[in-house]
Amino acid sequence: MQIRIEKRLETPKIVYIIIPVASILASLLFVGVLLLAIGVNPLEAYGVMLSRAFGTKFGFTELFVKTAPIILTGLAVSIPLRAGLWNIGAEGQLYMGAFAASFVALYFSPPVIVLPLMVLFGLLAGMAWASIPGFLKAKFDLNEIISTLLLNYVAIYWVEYLVYGPMRGKEVYNFPYSDLFNDYAILPRFFGTRFHVGVIISFLIAIAIYILITKTSYGFAVKIVGSNPKAAEFAGISRKKIIISTMLIGGAIAGFAGMMEVSGLHLRLRAAVSPGYGYTGIPVALLARGNPLFVMVAAFLFGLLYVGGSAMQTTFGIPVAIVDVFQALVVLFIIGGDFFTRYSISFGDKGEKYEGEKG
Amino acid sequence: MGVELTSNLDSGNKTGNNKTESKKILEMRGITKIFPGVIANDGVDLEVNVGEIHGLLGENGAGKTTLMSILYGLYRPDGGEIIFDREKVEFHSPGDAIRAGIGMVHQHFMLVSKMTALNNILLGYRTPKDPLMDYEWARKRIEKLSKTYGIEVDFDEQIINMSVGEQQRVEILKALFRDVKLLILDEPTSVLTPIETERLFKALRRMSEEGLTVIFITHKLREALEVTDRITVLRRGKNVGTLITKDTNERDLARLMVGREVEMIIEKKRKESKEGKAVLRIEAVHARNDRGLPALKGINLIVKQGEILGLAGVSGNGQKELEEVIVGTRKIEKGRLIFNGEDITDYGVARRVALGISCIPEDRIETGMAPSLTVEENLILRDYVKFTKNGFMDFEVIEKHAEKLIDEFGIRTPSPKVAARTLSGGNIQRLIIARELSRNPLLLVASQPTRGLDVAGIEYVRKRLISFAEEGKAVLLISEDLEEIMQLSDRIVVIYEGEIRGVFEREEADLEKIGILMSGGALEN
Repeated sequence: MQIRIEKRLETPKIVYIIIPVASILASLLFVGVLLLAIGVNPLEAYGVMLSRAFGTKFGFTELFVKTAPIILTGLAVSIPLRAGLWNIGAEGQLYMGAFAASFVALYFSPPVIVLPLMVLFGLLAGMAWASIPGFLKAKFDLNEIISTLLLNYVAIYWVEYLVYGPMRGKEVYNFPYSDLFNDYAILPRFFGTRFHVGVIISFLIAIAIYILITKTSYGFAVKIVGSNPKAAEFAGISRKKIIISTMLIGGAIAGFAGMMEVSGLHLRLRAAVSPGYGYTGIPVALLARGNPLFVMVAAFLFGLLYVGGSAMQTTFGIPVAIVDVFQALVVLFIIGGDFFTRYSISFGDKGEKYEGEKG
Repeated sequence: MGVELTSNLDSGNKTGNNKTESKKILEMRGITKIFPGVIANDGVDLEVNVGEIHGLLGENGAGKTTLMSILYGLYRPDGGEIIFDREKVEFHSPGDAIRAGIGMVHQHFMLVSKMTALNNILLGYRTPKDPLMDYEWARKRIEKLSKTYGIEVDFDEQIINMSVGEQQRVEILKALFRDVKLLILDEPTSVLTPIETERLFKALRRMSEEGLTVIFITHKLREALEVTDRITVLRRGKNVGTLITKDTNERDLARLMVGREVEMIIEKKRKESKEGKAVLRIEAVHARNDRGLPALKGINLIVKQGEILGLAGVSGNGQKELEEVIVGTRKIEKGRLIFNGEDITDYGVARRVALGISCIPEDRIETGMAPSLTVEENLILRDYVKFTKNGFMDFEVIEKHAEKLIDEFGIRTPSPKVAARTLSGGNIQRLIIARELSRNPLLLVASQPTRGLDVAGIEYVRKRLISFAEEGKAVLLISEDLEEIMQLSDRIVVIYEGEIRGVFEREEADLEKIGILMSGGALEN
């Protein structure tokens, strides 16, 4: 028996389904080994995860509440990804959106216009933050991975500075919180749970983006740039415009996620607005191969992890960081799995074996 | 499986070229390779004698490269066996093949551009003082090889500063340095100028005299006839015959390759009147190349209605920059472009496309198409805006458009929905021609339009260009293939180092004069 590795001419569609599914399963397996190592039965742990998310009304709505921002950050990564850009900065764009929306919520009036203005400012702040790496990439070909990543820290520390300093609330004792928003600055909730209207909007945004990037001429232009920038130029498409515009759209969506988190969930600005949703967007976009419909599916998986992660913590004392481990594993497996889109592997001895010398 | 060995094959004493007693160095038997949906090699037999130059001839997609990739260990065959140097072999990687004594120079060179020739040749090689590099030993050895075969290279020059021909010589030396007995050259002349080609052939003959065996993959009949001892023709993955070169001719080979009679010479009828409205007027255009050096130095050209204007020149003398200046992807530093009476100097690409400027770019795969997009998407690549309704792509129309063009231009593809990257080189070329001609342009810039195409493909493209010009459109034909220029053009201009060096009506043009101008010489008189 021998293993044969060969370059593929064409990748069968099924490979694109197998790779993400296998990556998830392999990650679950690895995490399971880790759980075993710290003395927890992985099956039990996963069981707790599932029963928390699907067993109670609170858990189930919480699943949606956690999924929504991941959908948005998944989109924020996916759109530039289709043009061949890595937006690692959704986290920072989210923080800037949260900051801008909170600023409006705390200091603007009259009440009627506050919520719409929060949305607007959240979008604009996310866009502004994403425009920096976008512009630098388009104009000077500065690596967007580095610039987006580094800007995350700037945004996160900026928000921390604010909630420890100028924007710290009067009635929060020593917590790094702003004051609670007024009612008019809060997204409506349903079912007596934390399920807020932003969740529904997130799904609608995903569908809208799906239409934008698969059905319109703009989406087609993005696809050409992603496939071959030189051909795009030859087709009269401005690569620079596509770079900047995809970053702006991505930033706007991440900014909206920030607005949604403060207005729908935390009801104030605080440190750690997001537990890393911006980074979660990366494996989500990879699993979905940049397709917004699949982004929704993949986001659910990670939403489940976040909900289940806290359940595992309370039940078994497993650190929530296990979710980060899982995410990292998924990314590694997906990138590794890319090998299989380019090469095929077969087993068995179709070809005749080397029989040594003859003569 | 029985291996027939000629009994007079004694232990490897190589005694020059003994063509009367043809000893086999290579036997490939019943090689079969199946790719999804395609049988690339269908039970191919190939026998190559020691010390011969063996031509492997066939159209694009006939399976030449696949067969050689199997021999070189890049692909594993689905069936068949290989006997090399009297041993049955099975190569799992090019490393195995090289160790056994097989070298290959690919169409696209595998060199590190920022390293010197010497370092490229030594890359991955263990000199006797390993792990230390023994440059002195290596240099001596390479110099000896270089002298033996007449392959000259500046060893201390970086690859990036070398001409394509020189890079190829580095590749060949790299193989020879590893003591190969059999050297495979995949379409080596497709990137060479006529003079470099002649040099290469001389080197090949030297190798043959020294007892080295060469397999020469090509689809150019004349070259195969000129340099080889025997020729094997592949058609659709099958060996359709192995011939002794001196007993055959172009016509027979073409018939074998294509499977039907082929028109070997297609000439454009003379335009009746020499007058014609200028479609494109290039006025004193200056532009720089990618490295920021002047590439076009005051080019003046007029392309008229109904004519094919041939631009002759050795590649790298500003042709690519000129193509890009006309398309609109390269900035004009000085000068003007007038298209149909309109100053288009400052227009973007899209606007020029809309005005009716089409282009078959020199770099088909690099600039002409988006490889991961489907065939139908590539067919609308440059006018996708026309295929929208209120900003939305009109997929129904796009599909119909694709089906029509696939049919009309004979693009061989399983469906309009497969990724364009899966098409063969010839079919990609057809796809681009289909796209560029179907929008009914006024001007076509055709850059090396038949490079890399097979006999049938060349015939097809040339006919298309001629009929397009005869409709009253204008063609700027940029080609290194002088014969092509002579056959198709109404007028011929020569470009050298970014300047126009001569303008000829076709009747007064002769190969020699153009050749001199192309290489920077001046005409005496």
